[in-house]
Amino acid sequence: MPSDGNATASPFDVTLPNGLRVLYEPMPWLPTLSVTLLMPFGSVTDPIGNEGSASVLHEWLQRGAGDLDSRALSDAFEDLGVRRGGNAGRETSTLGAGFLAADAARALPLLADMVKRPRFESPEFAPAVELAQEELRSLEDAPTQKMFEALTARFLASPHRRSSLGTPEGLAALTEAGVRADAADRVGPDGAILALAGGSTWEQLLPVIEETFGTWRGATQPVPAPELAPQGLHHVDAETTQLQVGLAYPSAQVGTDEGYLYTLALNVLSGSMGARLFTEIREKRGLVYSVSAGTRALRGLGFTVGYAGTTTERAAETLQVFLAELDRLAEGVTAEELERSRTGLLSSVVMRGESSGATAGRLATDAYYLGRARTLAEVSDKIESATLEQVNEYLAANPVPTPTIVTLGRLPEGGLGLPAATATATEVGTGTGTATGTDAGTEGRA
Amino acid sequence: MSSELRFDHVVLDNGLMIIGEFNPRAVSAAVGYMVHAGARDESPELAGVSHFLEHMLFKGNERLSADDINRTFDELGADYNAFTSEERTVYYGAVPADRAEKLLDLLTELMEPSLRQEDFDMEKKVILEEIAMYQDRPAQRLFELGNGRFWNGHPLGNSVLGSPETVGNMQRDAMRAYFEERYAPSNVHLVLAGNYDWDAMVARARERTAGWRDYQVNRGKPAPEPMTGYERVADAALNRQHTAFFAPGVPVETPDMFAAGIVANVVGDGSGSRLYWELVDKGLTDNAWLSHEAQEGAGAFVGYLSAAPDRADEVLERYREVLQQVQDEGVTPEEWRRSQRKIATSLTFRAETPLGRLMSFGTIYQTLGKYLSVNETVELVMSTPLEAGARILAGRPFDQGFVLSLGPN
Repeated sequence: MPSDGNATASPFDVTLPNGLRVLYEPMPWLPTLSVTLLMPFGSVTDPIGNEGSASVLHEWLQRGAGDLDSRALSDAFEDLGVRRGGNAGRETSTLGAGFLAADAARALPLLADMVKRPRFESPEFAPAVELAQEELRSLEDAPTQKMFEALTARFLASPHRRSSLGTPEGLAALTEAGVRADAADRVGPDGAILALAGGSTWEQLLPVIEETFGTWRGATQPVPAPELAPQGLHHVDAETTQLQVGLAYPSAQVGTDEGYLYTLALNVLSGSMGARLFTEIREKRGLVYSVSAGTRALRGLGFTVGYAGTTTERAAETLQVFLAELDRLAEGVTAEELERSRTGLLSSVVMRGESSGATAGRLATDAYYLGRARTLAEVSDKIESATLEQVNEYLAANPVPTPTIVTLGRLPEGGLGLPAATATATEVGTGTGTATGTDAGTEGRA
Repeated sequence: MSSELRFDHVVLDNGLMIIGEFNPRAVSAAVGYMVHAGARDESPELAGVSHFLEHMLFKGNERLSADDINRTFDELGADYNAFTSEERTVYYGAVPADRAEKLLDLLTELMEPSLRQEDFDMEKKVILEEIAMYQDRPAQRLFELGNGRFWNGHPLGNSVLGSPETVGNMQRDAMRAYFEERYAPSNVHLVLAGNYDWDAMVARARERTAGWRDYQVNRGKPAPEPMTGYERVADAALNRQHTAFFAPGVPVETPDMFAAGIVANVVGDGSGSRLYWELVDKGLTDNAWLSHEAQEGAGAFVGYLSAAPDRADEVLERYREVLQQVQDEGVTPEEWRRSQRKIATSLTFRAETPLGRLMSFGTIYQTLGKYLSVNETVELVMSTPLEAGARILAGRPFDQGFVLSLGPN
C-alpha cells in the first residue's frame, strides 16, 4: 500500500562503474514509469564566447541517435507513446521520459542512445541553433520570465548568472565542430544521475540499465561554486501594463537541518492563500493578483526568490509591504502559523508521493544537491520534529538579508520609495552584460 | 489498478448529484464542486462575472471570514484552488485521505457565500490586476480577442476575465442575481476521487446542503456561425508576431470528439506532429501547435504560432500549407496510431493522482452524463478508427478557418 509502503524504505541507489548514479523508487500500484536523466552540464559551464552551447547541445542530442536519424528516433519514441521532456538549465540539464512500465526495456535504450550515441548530423545543426535563437527571442514578449533572467544576472556573480538560453552573440558564434567537441567534454556519465519511479521492479530495471547506460562513456566538467553579486537595486525599462518585481537573497539550503527550519518559516510567509504575503498584499490591500516567495537551489547555495506583479501606481506600496514582511520574519512565527505550515508541508510530501514524475524528480534533485535521496519518512520526521523555539531562534539569528531587487516595466514617477539603506545599488562589475543582452541598464535610486 | 476502482453516484433530494471514483490504493482524497456555469452563460454587460464570483466564494459567509477559509484550508494541508472556463466553474482540493470530510465541509461553506460589499470592492482590485497581468502576455490577449471574433456572437466567444470596463462597472447585486440564477443544486456536481468513505461523504453532503433549494437552469446553445478570414491587430510594443488560428470542430456530445482530438494531435502536437516537423524542427519558430476543443453544442480547432516579425508571413503560410495538405492527403495509419498512443499515455499519467482523476471523469460526467474509467477512456481513444478522422478532414474544416495576428506587423 502506498500509504506506508514507500515512506520508510530507502530507494534503490547504485553507482555504475562508469560513474552514473542510478536511483529507483518502486510504486508498484502504478502502470506508469517516469525517468529523469540529470546531467551536470548547463550554461554555467558553457565555453566563454559560446554562451548557449548547452542549449544547442541539448537540442542536437535529441535529433538522431544510434541507428536512428532524427525522424526515426522520434517515431520510435512515439510508437511507444513515450512522453518526453527535459531542458537545458544552468548547472544541470535533463532528459525526461514517461511511459508504460511494461515498455521499459524498449524505451530506456532509446533514451540511453541519445547520450551514448548521438549522431550530431550536420543538417540538424543549423535548425538546432535557429530553434535556440527563437526561444531567446520569445523571451522578449515574456516580461515575467525576462525579469527573472535579469534578477539572476544581478543576484549572482559566477557564471551562474548566465541565462540557460544563451546570448545572441554566443549562439551566433557556435560551430558544428565546436559543439561536438563541447559534447565530448561535458556529456558523460560521471556525476550524472538516472532517477526512475513507478510500477516496475529493480530486478527488471537494473539489467536493462546496465546494458544500456552502463556502456555510456564521456567526460564531464566540474561545476564551479556559485558566487553572489553585491546586493543591489536594478531596473529594466519596458512597455508593460504591470511592473514585474523580483527579489532574491541567500537562504538556507533545502534538505539541511537549517533548511527545514527555514522552509517551515518560509511556508508561513508564502505557501498558501492563508500565508502572510497573500494575506497582507492581496487579501487586505488588493495590490496584486500574483505574489510569492520560494526557495531555489544551486549546488552549495540556497536562495529565495520573491515575485510580485502589480500596476505601476501600486508598485511602491506592494514592495514596501513585501519587504516589511521579510523583515518581520526575524520576529518569529506563532505556534498556530507553524502548525499550519507543518501540516501543509507534510501533506504535500504525502501527496507528491502519488505521482511518478514528481517522485523521479525528487530523487534526482536530492541526489544532486544533497548527495543522497531522502526517504519520505525522513523528510516527514524532520518537518514534524522542528519546534517553535528552534524555528524562531533560527529566524532571530538569521534575519532575511537585504535582497537584490530587479524591476521590469514602467517605474512610478515618485520611485519605489525604498529606504536609503536598501537603495545602495551596486553595479555588477563583470562586464559580460546580462544574460539576455537586453537589459536597458542599471540604475540605483535613493 | 483499475479493477479496484469503484464508481458511485447519487442524487440528493435537493437535486445535487454526487459522483465518486473510489480508489482504495490512493493516499489522498480529492473533492470538487463543479458548477455548470461559466463565461458562456453571461450577458455582455456582466462579462467576467463567473470568474469574479469564483474569487468571491473564497470570501466566506456569516459563519466564516475569508481569513477563516484560507486558514482552514491550511489546517487541512489542502492542495486547493478554483478555475473558471467558458463551460464551468470548479472549486476543488486534495487532502490526505483522513481529512476528506473536513475538506467537503469547507468547500460546502464556499458554496454559500455572503458576497459582502467590502470584499467585493477589494476583490475587484485583484481581478483588475489579473486582467492587467494577462495584458502583458500576448498569447493570452490574442486568444481573448480571437475567441470573441471567431465565435462571432456565439456565447462560447465570451471572455472569461471580462474587460476592465465590465469588471470595473460590475455591481454586487448583479453578481448576487447571477449566483441565484446559476448555482442551483441540480446545476452542480459534487465530485469525489481517491480514498474516502462514500457513505459518510454522502451523509455529510446531505446534511450540509439540506437548506439548498433547487430551480431550473437553462443554458443557451445557439448554432454557431463562426467567422472566417484574416485580421491583424497592430501592437508596436511587441517583439514577436503572435498568430491564432481557429476552425470549426465537433461538439463534445458527438462520438467524433475523440477523432477530432487525434486529428489535432497528428497535425499539431508539441512534438512529432506535422507542424512540429515543418516549423519547429526547422527552427522557424519555437512554438506552433494545433489542438481541438470540444465544447457543449460546438467545437473548434484552435492553434497558435509565434514568429519573428520579418518572417511571420512566410511561417504562417507554411502553417496553412500543413493544414491544407492534411485535408488533401489525410493522415497515415502510423501517424494515427502514434497519436492515439500519446493521448493514451497522457491520460494514464494524469490518472496517477486523485485530483487528476477528479478533473477527467468529473468533466466528462458533467458534460455527457456518463462515467468513464481511465481504462475505458483509453479504450475509446485506441479504438477510434482512422476513418473517423478521415471523415472530419473530408469536411475540410480548415478551409473555414479564421486567423488573428497580433504583433508589430
